[in-house]
Amino acid sequence: MEGKLMTLTEAAQLVKDGDLIGLGGMTLYRRPIAFVHELIRQAKKNLTLLAFTGGFESDLLVGAGCVSTVRSCYFGLESFGLAPMFKRRVEAGEVKVLEETESSIAFGLRAGLANVGFMPARSLFGTDFFKVREDIKVVECPYTGEKYTAFPAIRPDVAVIHSQLSDKFGNCILEGEHCVDKELALGAKTTIITAEKIVDTEEIIKRQADIVEFEVNAVVELPKGAHPTSCYPDYPVDVEHILEYIELCEEGKFEEYLQKYVLGVKKHKEYLERVGKND
Amino acid sequence: MTKTGTDFKPEEVMISCIAREIKNGDVLAQGIATPLVASGYILAKMTHAPDSVFLYTIGNTLSRDAGKVALSTYEDLSIGRALKQISFTDISCEILSAVKPKEFFRPAQIDKWGNFNNIVIGDYYKPKVRLPGCAGIADVTTYYENIYLYVPRHNKNTFVEKIDFVSGVGYLSGESQAEREKLGVISPGPKKIITDLCVFGFVEGRVALESLHPGVSLQEVIDNTGFEIIIPDKIVETQPPTAEELDLLRNVIDPYGVRELELLSGKKRLAKIREIYKQEIGA
Repeated sequence: MEGKLMTLTEAAQLVKDGDLIGLGGMTLYRRPIAFVHELIRQAKKNLTLLAFTGGFESDLLVGAGCVSTVRSCYFGLESFGLAPMFKRRVEAGEVKVLEETESSIAFGLRAGLANVGFMPARSLFGTDFFKVREDIKVVECPYTGEKYTAFPAIRPDVAVIHSQLSDKFGNCILEGEHCVDKELALGAKTTIITAEKIVDTEEIIKRQADIVEFEVNAVVELPKGAHPTSCYPDYPVDVEHILEYIELCEEGKFEEYLQKYVLGVKKHKEYLERVGKND
Repeated sequence: MTKTGTDFKPEEVMISCIAREIKNGDVLAQGIATPLVASGYILAKMTHAPDSVFLYTIGNTLSRDAGKVALSTYEDLSIGRALKQISFTDISCEILSAVKPKEFFRPAQIDKWGNFNNIVIGDYYKPKVRLPGCAGIADVTTYYENIYLYVPRHNKNTFVEKIDFVSGVGYLSGESQAEREKLGVISPGPKKIITDLCVFGFVEGRVALESLHPGVSLQEVIDNTGFEIIIPDKIVETQPPTAEELDLLRNVIDPYGVRELELLSGKKRLAKIREIYKQEIGA
């Protein structure tokens, strides 16, 4: 294929067992769901999931046993409630949590990009975080003498970002929540873009790219690749689908969901047929 | 004299209380899944605070538009009507610390000093209940100037003698401001706790009753709080929502009752989500 275009199968093979992987988007918005499905089909193991916010995509990955450690500051399904498989796996001791905050991830990524060991912030003082994050140190400001929290640099192995529009080189547009996507893409050793639509570079130039081709290793065209999360302004959250997932999980039938929508499906197109979105 | 509404629910009193803490021109941060807070912000915007600016977590945007609270169509408002799109990295590393917006947090547990927890119930390494996490609360409660807490279901599971994890900074153990600053905490501590039964303030860092909602007895509050509260000599009643506030809330801001999701759990919550969604896609 031309440029960096790949099949979903090929792109997912770039993810190795044990990688630190960051998934773009926020909770129920613009998540790389189709890519997560393929990671589950390829039975990835021991991933450390960097989820600024973990939502539907992360719950699938944790539920399917692909993740050994979660690094997150919020892992839930917003108004739908707690993320059922994250809750279950952590309470059963099957998945470890490295407790993060918004700043620990945001400053950590910035430290990685700045090629320094840490970034200082006013966070965490007075809380119990230092008890469970002994790796986070406190530094003294050389100018004011104040104490600051020194958030360690984060350098992801892989970032996967779902975009509305990309060209074949990976120059792409992000609409809606940018979350920490631009920092993930710029900071990761390998960056994979999944896109609703592949367009000519001229279309990207008209609107200006949010992520630029030298940051990107692979591009996969996946229409409705964020379903059942939203991809603003193309489609909203599929409320009924998320309710179906939660209800199955609550009845202890996560495996049934996985068979119906992930493992029992060979290609993304087949998934879209199954959820009635193949139009 | 403003006309007082006569028939109202506890969550409507809470929303009215939240709205009254907003001043015109405030920058208001809104967290994840907090329709009670969103309703209060919009109510303030439509009444006495037209120039407040919203910082939307869902959307990563700044906006001065007040519309409806929503479940599935939230982004139409928070993104479609935004003044400015920002990344969450910029929000966490710059906007919050530079602007110090006003924000209302919903704790899973609170102690008598207003310290709070959104991480786990039980032992951290063997949790009885793993909660979603504290998002940015452990960052901003060290430096925010205007911190408010709210509790949609006032009971002894939330108000406890000892919280299982401190992820939100209250008054610690009652240290002075100078002592707090030595510890790295520059925030003065939370201002109020608004619950479905009452409004608490703080006296020398301790949770203290400020007003009882109409129809709620002092004994009810004492029975549902897991620690000793400071009770003033003269007990006042929370000012009830006005007829205008109730009309705006029920007919303009939240006609489908998204606000009720914060008071529901389990199957009842899922049923309510279905009901709201049907109305949203039918609209």
